[in-house]
Amino acid sequence: MTVEAEYVIETKELVKVYKTGKIKAVDELNLRIKKGEIYALIGANGSGKTTSLNMISGALFPTSGEIKVFGYEVPRKRRLITNYIGIAPQDYSIYEDLSLEENVRFFSLIYGMSKTEFELKFEELLKILRLEEKRKTAAKNLSGGMKRRLSIACSLIHSPKIVFFDEATVGVDPVLRSFFWEYFRSLKDEGITLVLTSHVMDEAERADRIGLMRAGKLIAEGSPEELKRKHSASTIEEIFIKLSEGEIIDE
Amino acid sequence: MSKKKNDEFKPKNLNFSMRRSFAIAFKTINQFRRDRRTIALLSVVPIAIMLIFGLAFSGEVKNVPILVDNQDDLYTHPFPAISLHLGPNITDSLLNDTSVDVSFGNYFDGIDAVEKGDYYAAILIPANFSEQVVKMLTGDNETVKMFVYIDATKPTIRASVLGAVHDALDDSLGEKGINVVQILAHEGAEYTGLDVGIPAVIAFVMIFLLLIVGLITIVREKIQGTQDRLYSTPLRSSERLLGYVIGLLLIAFLMIAFVLIFGVFVFGARVQGSVFLLIFAALLFGIAHVFMAVFLSNFAQNELQAIQFAPLTAIPSMALGGMLVPIVSLPGWLQPISYAVPLTYGINLFEGIMLKGWGFKELWLEFTVVAGMCLLFFVLAILTVRSRMRD
Repeated sequence: MTVEAEYVIETKELVKVYKTGKIKAVDELNLRIKKGEIYALIGANGSGKTTSLNMISGALFPTSGEIKVFGYEVPRKRRLITNYIGIAPQDYSIYEDLSLEENVRFFSLIYGMSKTEFELKFEELLKILRLEEKRKTAAKNLSGGMKRRLSIACSLIHSPKIVFFDEATVGVDPVLRSFFWEYFRSLKDEGITLVLTSHVMDEAERADRIGLMRAGKLIAEGSPEELKRKHSASTIEEIFIKLSEGEIIDE
Repeated sequence: MSKKKNDEFKPKNLNFSMRRSFAIAFKTINQFRRDRRTIALLSVVPIAIMLIFGLAFSGEVKNVPILVDNQDDLYTHPFPAISLHLGPNITDSLLNDTSVDVSFGNYFDGIDAVEKGDYYAAILIPANFSEQVVKMLTGDNETVKMFVYIDATKPTIRASVLGAVHDALDDSLGEKGINVVQILAHEGAEYTGLDVGIPAVIAFVMIFLLLIVGLITIVREKIQGTQDRLYSTPLRSSERLLGYVIGLLLIAFLMIAFVLIFGVFVFGARVQGSVFLLIFAALLFGIAHVFMAVFLSNFAQNELQAIQFAPLTAIPSMALGGMLVPIVSLPGWLQPISYAVPLTYGINLFEGIMLKGWGFKELWLEFTVVAGMCLLFFVLAILTVRSRMRD
């Protein structure tokens, strides 16, 4: 039934108002993300990036608006897409008491993978993410960077078509960060769509397309070059400041 | 130049300062003030403990329901001329004794009722009781018998009933010499020591373990963020619920096995009834509590708050569930609350099966209530797992 849609993710007038505090976390968000794209949502903490991601992945119900992933309506048909999306949340979201291998195996079982399927993919991920030495280590004894890689491994074990990395490169050392980006590129080459969030502006330069978010709204969108040309700015940060008109918003 | 620098960097504010201590004190009080839940806990729990334990422990075992069948007739001895009718004196004495709650009826109906658990004892004062007593006094007879069909699975209750009977005999006769024949109910099951507490301990351990371990497991899922990750996987809430049930019940059963083995080999406990029924009862009781843990996890944001459910459930359970004080001995207005405490049904089930050898027939009410609890908390658990995503 799924037509090979041009856009794998589409949102229309997406709104989320949290019951507690009545904060409009996402305000009429219109997103269109193409297959095989690296799309980065950039904005300060509290600008609505994570909320948007959680709604698109089906973990959170929107207040109003439409979401389509692979042409399927989310959250109504969210279960149909779950096997094709992977999410690495902002906090590591791993079981601290379990070993690295136990963590990844748990998620492989949740995705209904067989033992051999798991072993094949797990070995591949361990190698790419350079975690071979740590497979038996309890997650709580891993360093922050390793936990981040473990979290990514958990989100990729079932070979998803779209992955959501929420602040995956935050607090990661520059060498590891550049490794991450290399890895993201290789995933893109496999035809995987990546949706990233970051509050670090220069991170955006490496994405195919970026969306600047502020107070739940998308204030600019395009490739980094396009945006810089359009706003005659030399950095993304400059565009951000220009568009905000120096107005300071409470997060 | 260097002197001036020394002046600027002169060590200051390094002496012991009450101001700093006060800063810590006020901060501590402020943090506590913001933590409404703990305040509520600390203000409610001590009062609850005082009330419950004060009322529950106000005396020894009281109001134990017993049935008395007084068949004794007036006896007039020709020579020496003695006229005696002891039966009514004994029943009056028992009626005035607060440790028992006397009903009158047929002894054999009483036996059935004891077996069913409606009464703890059935007492028969035989038809020729007064006659026998007179004959004993005149030396024509050696002993006089009185029959007590008694539930001996609860040592405190048994002692209380026998105490009342002996007191009544003392009051009416002024001397001993009556042989109170005890016939033990539930196929002679008799418990005197620590073994009697094992069913209650099993029920209590299950509640505590499943509720607290369950709550912590689920709440940790929330804190670690793995819950959000799971929401974007194909995992259904029913699958998740079943997973918790299986995992937690396995832990609980290990715990029960440990308690049982320890009880049987160290305290000499026995399982009178069916072991399979016992396992089934434990399963049902356990499932209800896992569902309850899932439901209660909505009201705990972190592990500390989850732990706070422990005293809230443990104290009323211990005091009102019949673990320490038999429910019949509680003040009348407190008894209905006992029947709202899940532990009551757990204890009834495990005691019934283990100590009295009861089956479905006698325990249908308890099984129905626990099954109802399962259903109720299952629905609540499923509903709240779903609605959580909408917040």
